[in-house]
Amino acid sequence: MAQGTVQGANEAQPRRAVVFGELARRLLLRPESTALAAVVILFVVFTILSPDLFPAKLTFISIMAFAAELGVLSIGVTLLMIGGHFDLSVGAVLGLTSYVATVMMRDYAMPPIVAALAAVGVGAVIGSINGFLVVKFRVHSFVVTLGTMLIWRGVVITLTGGFPITVTIPAEFRAVMSGPLPESWWVLSGFRASMLWFFLIGGLGTFLLTRTRFGNWIQARGQNEQAARNLGVPVDRLTVMLFMLTSALAAVSGVIQVARFASVDALRGQDFELQAVAVTVIGGTLLSGGYGSVIGTILGAITYGMIQVGLVLAGVPGHYFRTLTGFIVVAAVILNTDVARRMARSRPLRGFQRSSAASDAAILAQRREAGDAGNLAGGAPIESATPEPRQ
Amino acid sequence: MSLQSDSIGSGEEGLHLNARQVVPVPAGAVPVMEAVNISKAFGATTALVDVSLKAYAGRILALLGDNGAGKSTLIKILCGVFPPDRGELRFGGEKVVFANPAQARARGIATVFQDLAVCDLLSVTRNVVLGREPQKGLGPFKWFDVKRAEEMARSALLQLGVRWERSLDERGVNISGGERQSLAIARAMFFGSSLLILDEPTSALAVRQAGRVLDHIAQARDQGQAIILITHNFRHALEVADDLTVLAQGRVAAHFRRDEIELEELTELVARVA
Repeated sequence: MAQGTVQGANEAQPRRAVVFGELARRLLLRPESTALAAVVILFVVFTILSPDLFPAKLTFISIMAFAAELGVLSIGVTLLMIGGHFDLSVGAVLGLTSYVATVMMRDYAMPPIVAALAAVGVGAVIGSINGFLVVKFRVHSFVVTLGTMLIWRGVVITLTGGFPITVTIPAEFRAVMSGPLPESWWVLSGFRASMLWFFLIGGLGTFLLTRTRFGNWIQARGQNEQAARNLGVPVDRLTVMLFMLTSALAAVSGVIQVARFASVDALRGQDFELQAVAVTVIGGTLLSGGYGSVIGTILGAITYGMIQVGLVLAGVPGHYFRTLTGFIVVAAVILNTDVARRMARSRPLRGFQRSSAASDAAILAQRREAGDAGNLAGGAPIESATPEPRQ
Repeated sequence: MSLQSDSIGSGEEGLHLNARQVVPVPAGAVPVMEAVNISKAFGATTALVDVSLKAYAGRILALLGDNGAGKSTLIKILCGVFPPDRGELRFGGEKVVFANPAQARARGIATVFQDLAVCDLLSVTRNVVLGREPQKGLGPFKWFDVKRAEEMARSALLQLGVRWERSLDERGVNISGGERQSLAIARAMFFGSSLLILDEPTSALAVRQAGRVLDHIAQARDQGQAIILITHNFRHALEVADDLTVLAQGRVAAHFRRDEIELEELTELVARVA
């Protein structure tokens, strides 16, 4: 059988350089590679620009505070985008659910935990409306959520009357949602609790995407809806659930912000919808859906936070923030568009190629057992197999 | 390439005519699926008139015909996309009415459409188990059973004699059109389809790849699968099919056992009736 394999005898210990080469190859094929590169490069650049201020704990705290609030919401947007949909209403939903949480605490004297859960519940309901509209009327989610974004923003402006509404947040609730972590938490002390929520939700999102049937369906839906449907994936139910999840996570971001600011205003969450798309794209998720990573989005949100904080520390005028972010988004999109082709072309390096001997032997054994080795369609017996030339 | 034919058969030497002896359908055999005098019209356009066909276990029925002959309408009726205006479908000898594709699927009717079979950016394993992912877990918390899924993918490919060289788990199926078809066929077989409908599985393929896919189709047939093979390509039909039905202008123009007709005759016949 050895002649039927490509590698065969050559599968001894690969050299160290090859090991690193293979690791690099695998890393470059991952969706997160662009965002990881962005984080590393920006870190180096900002450290060079402001060596005294940038590499400091206080800086990291600011970056993570920013990244967490945008990031939690972006994780939902990412899962939705991998599933092949957009949600432009997340910013408005964040605003509306923040209003719900604030008013329940202030006017109805609800405990913060109840108000928070109510806000997330309202978020899920709003999401189900988006999902229902998309599924029922087969309208592109971009347009549906553009509409609901305007609707809910209008509602928030009406409800608040355009003025900020403040509320007293109990200290424990603030500490749990967005307060600085206590001294005893060692390296983590001083970081905001929202960072832990961000990582927790990021971990759960990654698990959902890569280790559950639901995650498999999300990716399949985003790549080839008809194939998923043909194979019995409940595509419509999946879509509605994704929209619910996205809006619920927007509400979680809203609650974190309410806990931090002890207020809500009419424009809360505005622009988050597009920032979330930017963060998701930097994180390696394809705009066309089907392929992406929650870990990439976490790195994307950190990239976003680094740009915002780093530019200020470097003494660059604030409006360059958008410009630099824009460049990174465009670069990320260009690098990621090609991913399907790169994956199709990439081959394991020598020493990591899988020999086909195992599968050949298994097939042969199966044939022998069935008693008709090589007796198919007038074909030659398997022993005469010749290797397929590698392309 | 991550998946390859085991090079049994025509992979190396190109297409060849099937050497397998065609036997007549045994008397008294019940077709897995039977269409009886099916007619269908869309508004003023008549798509099908009194079309009947029978698909038997362990046989390949090739459905031939030009564009617009009614092949795809017939297939959509068989897999429950829409009902016939007149006529009936019988499954295992008993009348069935499919309200939607899910009901046809529940009966084990698996359709592999040309371009709609595989998600290219998922791994081979995840493609094979898509829609039937094995799970493990505690109570309501269930997650994807990676190990079991890989075993399932391995057995599915093994069953059809598809060779694999790359890790089945690597993201990106990374395979040619022919291998995609083979993967889809392997998947349908593995999950126990009673009738496999293949829509133009070889039309976009180079000769060598088409040969492999045809081998895999023959392999599925030899394992007792009932197959309806829709194709434009008479040569491919003659290579693997046991029976051939030619559709023209919505009617059955001719029906043969494969050993009753030669390629030239068939080509001429289709040209004449179309």
